[in-house]
Amino acid sequence: MYLAEADGAAAGRGETRAAPAPKASDRWESFPYSRFSHHGRACCDIAREWVVGMDFAQLNGGDLTSGPRWLREKYKWGPSPWPIHWCEAVKRKSIDCGAHAALALEAFTGRGLTAFPAQVVQKYSEDSTEQWRGKWAEEDVSCHWLDGEHIYHEVTALLVGEDAVKIWDSSAGSWIGPRQAGGYGSLVAIRIFADGQWGGGDGLRWGERRIKPGTWVQI
Amino acid sequence: MKIYVSGLYSGGNPQPGVGIVRSLRQGYPDATLIGVEYNNRVSGIHWSDLDDLWVQRPWDEINLEAYADKVRSALDEGGLWISGSDLEAMWLASVFPDGHPNLLAPPAGAMKRIAKPAVEAHRGLPVKIPTYVSTDLPDWELHAFCRAHNWRVWLKGPYYDAARTPSWDIFMAARAALTKVWSTERLFLQAHVSGYEESVMLAAYRGELLSCVSMRKRDVTAEGKTWAGDVSEVDPAFEATLREMVRALNWTGGGELEMVRDPSGQLWLLEMNPRFPAWVHGATIGGHNLPATLVQGATGVPARKPEVQASEFTRVVLEVPVRDDYPLPALPEPFAGAVGHSMKHPSGLTSLAKRLHKSNPELLEIVADGGPAADGKPEVPESFLADIAAYDLAEVETPQFLYFETTAAGLFKRAADRAHRLSTNEVEVVSGYSIKTNPDERLIRLALDNGFYGECISLLEVHKALEVGFRPDQIILNGPAKWWPEGMMPKERMHAVFCDSIADLERCVAAIERGDMSSRHVGIRIRTPNVVSRFGIPLDSPDTFAKLVDAVGRLPKDTAFGVHFHMASSTIGVAGWWHLFESMLKWCRSIERLTGRTIEILDMGGGWFPDDWHSDDESKFAKAVETVKAMLPAVRQIVSEPGKAMAQPSMALAMRILEIQEHEEDHVEAVVDASIAELPMYAFQPHRILRQCGETGALQPLGRGKTHLMGRLCMEHDIVASNVSLPEGTRAGDVLIFCDAGGYDRSMSYVFGRG
Repeated sequence: MYLAEADGAAAGRGETRAAPAPKASDRWESFPYSRFSHHGRACCDIAREWVVGMDFAQLNGGDLTSGPRWLREKYKWGPSPWPIHWCEAVKRKSIDCGAHAALALEAFTGRGLTAFPAQVVQKYSEDSTEQWRGKWAEEDVSCHWLDGEHIYHEVTALLVGEDAVKIWDSSAGSWIGPRQAGGYGSLVAIRIFADGQWGGGDGLRWGERRIKPGTWVQI
Repeated sequence: MKIYVSGLYSGGNPQPGVGIVRSLRQGYPDATLIGVEYNNRVSGIHWSDLDDLWVQRPWDEINLEAYADKVRSALDEGGLWISGSDLEAMWLASVFPDGHPNLLAPPAGAMKRIAKPAVEAHRGLPVKIPTYVSTDLPDWELHAFCRAHNWRVWLKGPYYDAARTPSWDIFMAARAALTKVWSTERLFLQAHVSGYEESVMLAAYRGELLSCVSMRKRDVTAEGKTWAGDVSEVDPAFEATLREMVRALNWTGGGELEMVRDPSGQLWLLEMNPRFPAWVHGATIGGHNLPATLVQGATGVPARKPEVQASEFTRVVLEVPVRDDYPLPALPEPFAGAVGHSMKHPSGLTSLAKRLHKSNPELLEIVADGGPAADGKPEVPESFLADIAAYDLAEVETPQFLYFETTAAGLFKRAADRAHRLSTNEVEVVSGYSIKTNPDERLIRLALDNGFYGECISLLEVHKALEVGFRPDQIILNGPAKWWPEGMMPKERMHAVFCDSIADLERCVAAIERGDMSSRHVGIRIRTPNVVSRFGIPLDSPDTFAKLVDAVGRLPKDTAFGVHFHMASSTIGVAGWWHLFESMLKWCRSIERLTGRTIEILDMGGGWFPDDWHSDDESKFAKAVETVKAMLPAVRQIVSEPGKAMAQPSMALAMRILEIQEHEEDHVEAVVDASIAELPMYAFQPHRILRQCGETGALQPLGRGKTHLMGRLCMEHDIVASNVSLPEGTRAGDVLIFCDAGGYDRSMSYVFGRG
């Protein structure tokens, strides 16, 4: 996400919200999902084509709906500055969850599948978020994604079947299951950005849940 | 209530005994729990929930008849028995074929119907069985199975043990090891299924499903065994069919269906175990105490209701006190000079396996997936036999390569006909003969006569092709050493030149500008990004891809552009090759978009195993042409390069037996006058072997057996064939013919040990 937008979103929250029992996702209510910038030149075209080509190669004949596990092998999860261009992102050794999710989205759609950007809020611990805050500060990157024991995280929703989704966490290289037990690392809220035919109706099915696109759903 | 529980092994790949005992203790706090084991080294005997122990002598020592009587007495006296070992359960089923009211293990009929790998009883369940073949098949067909499944295959033992066999040499080594451990050649090869592992555990009594629970592995050991998992109710539809299956099997006891869920959600059944799984107590933690439910179902004595502690469980390592009356046995001395203590199967399970399948060979029968069991003898094509008949083998000086004239002619014609059929008005399909696969002039001439292009990797090869009669405009030059030897580059226009690196491209561009090289097409070879290769321009990072795009921009505009990619399909597998093909087309399309150059020639192939290339199924090739047309509409010519598929069947190696040495237990070592110097591909591919009968002259294919064919060299690894059987009457002086030796065996053979 863009740093300015992120800061703005965070700063604006207190002025407009008056609910006495805030939800963990409130801080990121108007927060946009991450998108790479494009220089409008060959450098970014090459980067984008490379991601799609490499993703298909790495499938090794496996099922098209397999998670693009190679992205986590290639790119460690860590701070990355925003805004960031395609040609810059693909050359980094580590990228944050927004960049990971953007690459996974490109990979899935490059295979001809339907996928959507998604955001989640996860619960960790204050000790963990303090550690992350320090690491992000060292690289002079915004810590807008940390809030007490909660973190904002970006993932990718893959459409499987008519209206069901699976949630791919590219930063972890694993699927997030709809069955959540609570506690450290668990999911607190999810929001999927899907428009068109998936924007209306009952929403997308994730396990037993229905997720209305564009809306934070508390888990 | 007295309950005997076996299977107490608690190492990294544990048996379920301790978990069963822990669960029973929760369900029946006052029950007398007796641990049954066959070796006092098994650490589970020290678990404190056990009230008593029944430690028997290991399976290789125990008197099975006397032990069966003891078990019968224990059951008759009211004791219940829950087996935690597959092999013990099989033995018990043979002792009590119709069961015993107190034996909480499946009857013999049910055991037969869950035998690996077919698990015949699975029908009705929403699962598939991964494709498999029995290793009774000839090596030729086993190699084909591995190729068909991209070498993502498992060689599995009859009861336990599995080895990944990603190449032929690893397969042969694993087969020898498993055969030795389990005293049987009846193993099976099974295709790997990628996905997440999950299981369903069940408890049943006399055909009535008492309970079942589902578990997904959430953490695994290095061996892939459960370390943590989550438990949940079984899907109702699955449970309904499982109930029917249990009824049909008249199942009693615990059981486990081990499955993999692939990315599409399909469940694949790997095996069904006739016992509770080792994670049994993990389910009890989740409120599903199946051992107690089983005992309750068998006795009618209500079990204490389990407390739901968590829906997820994990393991930890615990130290426990050793029982005073079972002190630790001494650790065996490592073999002199060896590393570590060989301690696998301490209770002698492998010996029990040997004893079981001696007394009941049916237990080892592998239901063939698509046909009856074979004898390991390969089918040899008629054309091979006809070509061999043209030689007077008695007069052939051995070792000597035999050229199969009619076979070779047939192969080239077939390839030419196929190329013709696949060609359209828009796209011409042609074949390329890779000179390096076998530079024999007879084969090069056949290639020329059948409209092939000559694919060369050096200027010596170019000149060889020209000498045989190829014109320069029928030559395709590629590889990293296309300028070697210096000064031999033809001045005439070649058909195509593919640059193997950016440096190579720059040199070629400069040479073309100077007039030192001329080609109708100039292109690049691209390196496979997901398969290790040293050839071609890499794509494995955005930077290298950018350099490739930039380099293509420097190619002369007055030559047509092309792309070349090769990877041995016999190495990566047939399906793997087709995926690579599709992947490469996507890269080609990207290159077109990014460079503005359109691709007019596509050269693809390499390393096809003959059977895969010459298969009657032409549809894949036809579809490939259509795909090229759709994705790269400017392509005018597709050069398909079958590699060794043309050369390999076209020659055989004749050799003579020098000496036959007979050893213990029917093992034979026969020394031959050939060697790995003439058969360098021995470790990479099987050869169909024929013996000419000294009396009748008939050609007899060699099946599998206990004979090793030792080469003539004084080199330890000079073994040209292992585990074959020589026909009765074979003696020194007989001729053996190793077919399928016309590819790299011939072209890479070297002079060695000839003085």
